[in-house]
Amino acid sequence: MEEQKDYRMSFFKPTTEFSRINRNLVIVLILIWGICVFGFQILLRIMEKPTPEKTLITFEKVWDNVKSGNASSDEKVQFADCILSVLGKSTLAAKPEKRAVLNNALSWAVYDLMSGDSLRSNFIGEISAFEKQRAELTDLKDPAYVNAKAEIIQKTAPLLGLEEYSLKARLIPLELRSAGMEVLQTENKDKLHGIMSLYLTHNQSVLTDTVFLGFPFHYFYTAVFLLILFVALCWIYSFMIDRVHKRLGNFDKTKTANS
Amino acid sequence: MKKTIFYFLLFTTFLLEAANSAVKLEGGFKVGPAIIMIGMLVIFVVVGILNSAKDTSDYYAAGRSISRVGSGMAIASNWMSAASFLGMAALMYGSGYHGLAFVVGWTGGYVLLLILMAGQIRKYGKYTAPDFIGDRYYSTGLRIAAAIVTIIISLAYCVGQFGGIGLMFKWVMGMNFFWSTVIGSCVVLAYTMISGMLGVTKNMIIQYIIIIISFLIPLFILLFKFDYFWLLPPIGYGAAVSDVVNGIPAPAVSDMVNVIGHDFAILPSPEYAMPWDASTGQTFFQWMAIVFSLMLGTAGLPHVIQRFYIVPRARDARWSVVWGLFFICLLYWCSPIFSVFGKILSSNPEIGTLAPDAIVIYTAQLGNINPLIVGFLAAGAVSAAFSTVAGLLVAGSSAFSHDLYFKVFRPDSTPKQQMMMARIATVLMGVIVTVMSMMELALIAQLVALAFSFAAVTIFPLFLLGIWWSGSNKQGAIAGLTTGIIVTIVALTYFIAGKYGVALPAQEFISFWLGPWYFAWIGAPLAIFMNIIVSLMTEETPLEIRKFLVEKVHS
Repeated sequence: MEEQKDYRMSFFKPTTEFSRINRNLVIVLILIWGICVFGFQILLRIMEKPTPEKTLITFEKVWDNVKSGNASSDEKVQFADCILSVLGKSTLAAKPEKRAVLNNALSWAVYDLMSGDSLRSNFIGEISAFEKQRAELTDLKDPAYVNAKAEIIQKTAPLLGLEEYSLKARLIPLELRSAGMEVLQTENKDKLHGIMSLYLTHNQSVLTDTVFLGFPFHYFYTAVFLLILFVALCWIYSFMIDRVHKRLGNFDKTKTANS
Repeated sequence: MKKTIFYFLLFTTFLLEAANSAVKLEGGFKVGPAIIMIGMLVIFVVVGILNSAKDTSDYYAAGRSISRVGSGMAIASNWMSAASFLGMAALMYGSGYHGLAFVVGWTGGYVLLLILMAGQIRKYGKYTAPDFIGDRYYSTGLRIAAAIVTIIISLAYCVGQFGGIGLMFKWVMGMNFFWSTVIGSCVVLAYTMISGMLGVTKNMIIQYIIIIISFLIPLFILLFKFDYFWLLPPIGYGAAVSDVVNGIPAPAVSDMVNVIGHDFAILPSPEYAMPWDASTGQTFFQWMAIVFSLMLGTAGLPHVIQRFYIVPRARDARWSVVWGLFFICLLYWCSPIFSVFGKILSSNPEIGTLAPDAIVIYTAQLGNINPLIVGFLAAGAVSAAFSTVAGLLVAGSSAFSHDLYFKVFRPDSTPKQQMMMARIATVLMGVIVTVMSMMELALIAQLVALAFSFAAVTIFPLFLLGIWWSGSNKQGAIAGLTTGIIVTIVALTYFIAGKYGVALPAQEFISFWLGPWYFAWIGAPLAIFMNIIVSLMTEETPLEIRKFLVEKVHS
């Protein structure tokens, strides 16, 4: 009663029946909101484990031999295949320095898989010409460019055991670099394993691997469900407050009070 | 009749001809989309003139006559800026799951806004955020400080929007960034000055409709075209997300191609959907801090708070938030679709590096959608930026003319003089924003996130404590506001130093923990803490304010 006279109020010490009900409702809704938003992400964090893609496991199997120069042809094919898997990732587009390392690795593997010095030297010339053609290109449908690309695919795809129409085969002409093709440069060797690990390891758990309505579950939860929850919480609050006002006989006269 | 059919056929032929010019990804004047955009801008100006403000009540608070659904649409339109329309998809395209922090942060904040503030703000019955702060904390100094903070937030937010306008004008008109920004600012200024909040609010309702339709049509088409469940896009794209994670082999879908002829195919890319993937360079902490900061910022943005003054009653203020959030979510549920299709359609390196902020437009183009629909999409993006800029300019100019000029410097000024000052302030702000946006400081969504963090450490604590604790007094408010401003200055100083390669003490540590997009995670709690401590140590809030809070605001 004393507080009522002094008009001291706080969220935790409501002064009217309405503000007491309102406070309780706010606490319940804030708790639901906080647990659903932050609690789920914390759970996701606790459950996740860095999980390598199959490609990384293959890469690690052949990497030591490739690095030491003792890789067999099969191992080089697997190595090139792994590099193409990362080069196909569009997140790499904004990282030209990492792409350059991978380009060198792929170019070297393809070059090394070719037999015969003349074939190799012709190939370097061919790639160099293609690079020049690409730099000056104005129309991606230019027949000369399309033919040159197809020729490179025809030559390289069988070397890497790829079907000509596969996605990886189509990447090859765009990712080969003529400069420094003959060797896998030492500084690139040092960086390669780190880049492969970075792009081929992901935080996964049962929450990310379960598919719900076509989505990875955690993605559905965050991108779809949370938004539904927010609208529902707002609706519930407005509905409940209207009911409380009705029950307490409050008449909302804001407009007349302030205009 | 024959004449009508003739003109109709002539116009259709012209539009189809014009549409062909929109196929290029970059550059060049695109006739069809240009006609759509110019037509839309003309409508905005006409609606503004038809609903021009007659007095200060019209200018600041739309005569307090807007309905709940209308106000909800206006909230949504005011909210859905270039950052929502273009920026969110850009963030998800570039950093996958990390981008969802913006989706959650920008929607979840409305729950706080509603249950902690909306009704109470309306019951308090002021015109602007500085008005509330000056009155509640019985301080002219705080009113001035809040007005300046409001103007700075409006400016920072506007700069991001002008970036979006510049991008779209550049795409449609083939103009350079400079001229597209200049033209955009002239149009926004024209109708904001003529109409004030009433015209702006009416425009916002129209703009919301344009925004949502232009955003959804290409999505239905993309989902249908590439064989996903298209009837309910927010659910239908789930399979596309899983397809990006697991990869789509080329031969299985050889009849589906993008505009260049590349297969609708992608190598397995789990980094797109997996949480805080290392390859994106983002961490769990940053995700949480961004969500938290954006949520508090949402509840502290002056131009959002100001929207609650335009409805007749507190009940309408509450329901307008519900409607507003629903209308916002319609777009936010669908925004990731552009990023996921963008990923697949641009996966071939031949496409090259696309400007992330324009990925929404590029995705529609790459999906070989009719160029006129792409043009309409670009018009929607401009509409989104315009609606937000207009609301921000009203909030900023109101802070200047009402909170500074009328309440502080010239209390005896006539309504006519105040209107004149509001219009002068609008022009001034427009000029400043145009100049600042030409500097191209950061991604659209990042610039906007900066404004959110600033609002979260300055305005939010003042409103939260001002409404919910009668003990929060002038001295506490000054301490809290000062703390918030100091945190902001530290965060920005380290960010700018880092950007220009200057190493300050503990550069790496501060840059990570006080990032410019999320420094409110610590700044806001600190500001609240300081406000409470200083309030407890100093003289109590005057009785009449405590009485008003109990009897009018919380009754």
